[in-house]
Parts: sequence; structure tokens; C-alpha cells
Amino acid sequence: MNAIELSHICKSFGGFAIQDLSLRVPSGCICGLVGENGAGKSTTIRLIMNALRPDSGTASVLGVDVNSPEFRDVKEDVGVVLDEAYYPETLTAEQVGRVMADTYRRWSQKQYDNYLDRFNLPKKKQFKDFSRGMKMKLAIAAALSHAPKLLLLDEATSGLDPIVRDEVLELFNEFTREEDHSILISSHILSDLEKLCDYIAFLHQGRLLFCDEKDRLLDTYGIFAGTAEQLESLREEAVVGREANGYGGVRALVRRSEVPAGLELERAGVEDIILFMVKGAR
Amino acid sequence: MKALIRKDAYVLWKQVKLLFIGVLFMATLGGAFNSIFIVVWSSMLPYTAIAYDERSHWDQLAAMMPYTKRDLVLSKYVMGWACMSISVALSLVIQTAASRFMDISADPKLLIMSFFMGTLALDITLPLVFCLGVEKGRLVFMAVIFGTAILGGIVLEAAGYVQIPSLPGFGIAAAAAVIATAVSIPLSMKLYHVK
Repeated sequence: MNAIELSHICKSFGGFAIQDLSLRVPSGCICGLVGENGAGKSTTIRLIMNALRPDSGTASVLGVDVNSPEFRDVKEDVGVVLDEAYYPETLTAEQVGRVMADTYRRWSQKQYDNYLDRFNLPKKKQFKDFSRGMKMKLAIAAALSHAPKLLLLDEATSGLDPIVRDEVLELFNEFTREEDHSILISSHILSDLEKLCDYIAFLHQGRLLFCDEKDRLLDTYGIFAGTAEQLESLREEAVVGREANGYGGVRALVRRSEVPAGLELERAGVEDIILFMVKGAR
Repeated sequence: MKALIRKDAYVLWKQVKLLFIGVLFMATLGGAFNSIFIVVWSSMLPYTAIAYDERSHWDQLAAMMPYTKRDLVLSKYVMGWACMSISVALSLVIQTAASRFMDISADPKLLIMSFFMGTLALDITLPLVFCLGVEKGRLVFMAVIFGTAILGGIVLEAAGYVQIPSLPGFGIAAAAAVIATAVSIPLSMKLYHVK
């Protein structure tokens, strides 16, 4: 079963549009949603949760159509962390816990308290006095404390220091040890996604350029470093994107299957692949 | 909906404490205007909760949670009714106690009439606030609140009416509040969706 399935979703906002978005996140997987600012990542998450109605296309989460009445029950199984923790600023962490206890049927106060302790979050301090990192940690604690099967994380690790970020990524990894647990995470920190994800989906200007297994992506592409003449000798289809390397040479993202077998290529990371693709698209 | 009411109660706790002080002050002043004003004013509190929601973008998070649109809208009405009920009950207790020492009298009928007027004010203004947001809706809201309280209070006092409402007037006000609520809630749900 797919944890998330979007089929030919279109949504227009005048100056910006999500165009023919089809995306499948298999159950048990972590999918990283990558894209520039304004590429449509947050919009995609809102469409997945039916917080926005698409102009056309269909969406289902955990096998249930998001437009059906049953989707309300499915929301019990989805933990969401948005790019900000949008709790009213006068609430304390303790009060957020009580509100969530009335919101989710499977809310575990014990688990929530454990996360608050683990993240060193004060229980009686007002939310407005929290740092951005503390706010995000509170949102993560709340999202994980009602036994969700799917986590939707929109820039959930931004604003966290590297040590806490690493701890949070480990939490997300722990979460997916249950075979029916899945995560869709959008982030600008591509190194986090490379560490965490099984799948990478790349949104560019409202279009999904690809959604593929991370390992297959890393196997498909390589970095060519050499002279412009050497690069010109390669087949046109082999080169995805190129840049001058500053020393009179060029660096290029190439398809391994399209270049001669003996050609030495550097390993391309997810960040390389995304950056060259964006440059190529421009 | 219990969660949303609990959230609003936490958010509004400071304002509720101010309301207690306001009721204490206004109830001991006596007069139809003061009685009506404090009850109608207490119907403002849900707007403060909506203002906090808007500032924190709570709506965006709430849309991801297992709340229905009905819960999100109805919880604000329930908060308004609850705040007005607290005002009516407190005013009654304070006026009854104060009548032993001061030249005022508790008037349950007038306070219940105030509740109906507050309900009408809530029914007129909440759909506008859901549609326009608190900033723009506040202007309309203030006009309705003060209009209701001032006009209601002045007319009743000018009529020398301390022991009214009469039974028919009472019935008409109750019926108007029920009908307005029956229209206002679906309208708010529609406008909330548009937003």
C-alpha cells in the first residue's frame, strides 16, 4: 500500500501553480521532498491533508481518499510538523499537551512528557518565549505522541542546532523501524535528506521533476570534472547540467549509462544532482 | 470540539479575569445600560481568541488535525455563550449581594434579555469576522456591539423600564436570538470555508 498517493493534482494560485503532480510514497518509506523556496512543497503537504482543495486530480493518504468522510479518522494516524509551530503564543507546553489529549484518541501523555524531558523543554513557559528551535521541538514532540503511522514534516529540522538535529533525525529513523510507518519530509538541508531518506522527490516551479529511490539516483548520476573539450565529446543526452569550475575547466552532472565505460566520474550527492538539475532547467 | 474550547479557555484566561473585574464594577453601578453592556461586551472574548489564532496561524495547523470545520466554527459560538453566561450569573450574584447594602436591585429578566442581545451581536458579527478576519471585522463588530448595548440600554432606560421585559418582548428577543443563531452558524461555516 502507498502511504501517500497523489494523482495528476493541479492547483493554481494565479502567479503560481502546482502542475500535474503525481507522487507515490510507499508505506514504510521515508521520502524527502526537495525544492527551492516557493517550489510548492508546503502547498503539496496542504493538498495531501486536504487543507487545500485541488483544482483537479485526486489524493489519498493511508489508502483513504482525502475527500471522503473517513479521512477525518485517518488524520488520527498522521503527525504533522509545519515550518513553524503554529500554537497560540500564550499556551505552555503543558497546556498544548492537554489540548492534544482532547484532540487525539491515542494521545500518550507519558510519551509526550518523555519527549519534553528529552528535548529539555520547560513545561510552564509560554510558547511565545520559546526559541525557534524549542518551538520546533515542541511541535515534533506533539506530532510523535499520538501514535501516528505517517509523519508529514515541512522544514521540521530547520532552526535546530546540529546536535539536536541529529537527535531528531535519529528519532525519525526510529519511527520508521515499524514497517507500516512512513515519513514525507521537506527540507532545504539536503545532507539531512541524503542521510535519512529512501526516496527523493524534486519539485521545481510547481512541477515534480522526479521521484526516485535515493540509491538509484546516486547510481544513475555522476560528476564529470575535466575540460570543456572533453565534455563536448560526450553525447548530448549524457549531460544534465554543467558549470565552470573556476580553474578553466568544467564540472557537469552526467548520466553514467550515457558515458563511455572507462570515464572516471566522481560520486554525485543528492545536493549535486538537485543543483545541476535546477541549473539545467534554467 | 472539547480540545478547541480548552485551547480558547487557556488563551482567554487573562481576559476572563478582566471580565470578572468588569462585571464586579459594572454590576454594582446598576442601570439597564451597564447590565446590558457588560454581558454584550463579554461576547467579544471569542474575537480575542480568533485574533490569537490568526496571529499564530493556528488555522493552518488545525486544518491538519482531526477537527471538522463545524468544530472550528461552533467552538467560537460556544465560547461566546459561555462568556455571556458567566457574565449573567456573576452579575446576578453580585447585584443580589450588593442590593443589601446599596440602592440597586438584581434583575434576572434584564440580564437574560442582555444574553439574547449579546447572542444577536455574536450572530451578526461572527460570520463577518470569519470572512474578513479580526482586523477588518473588528470595525463592524465594534459598531454592532456598541450599537446594541448603547441603543438597547438607552431605549430601555428612556422608557423608564426597570422591571421589563414584558413577556411578549422576552419571547420576541428569545425567538430572534434562536433564529439568528440558526442562520449565523451555517453562514459562518460557509464563510470559514471560503477563507
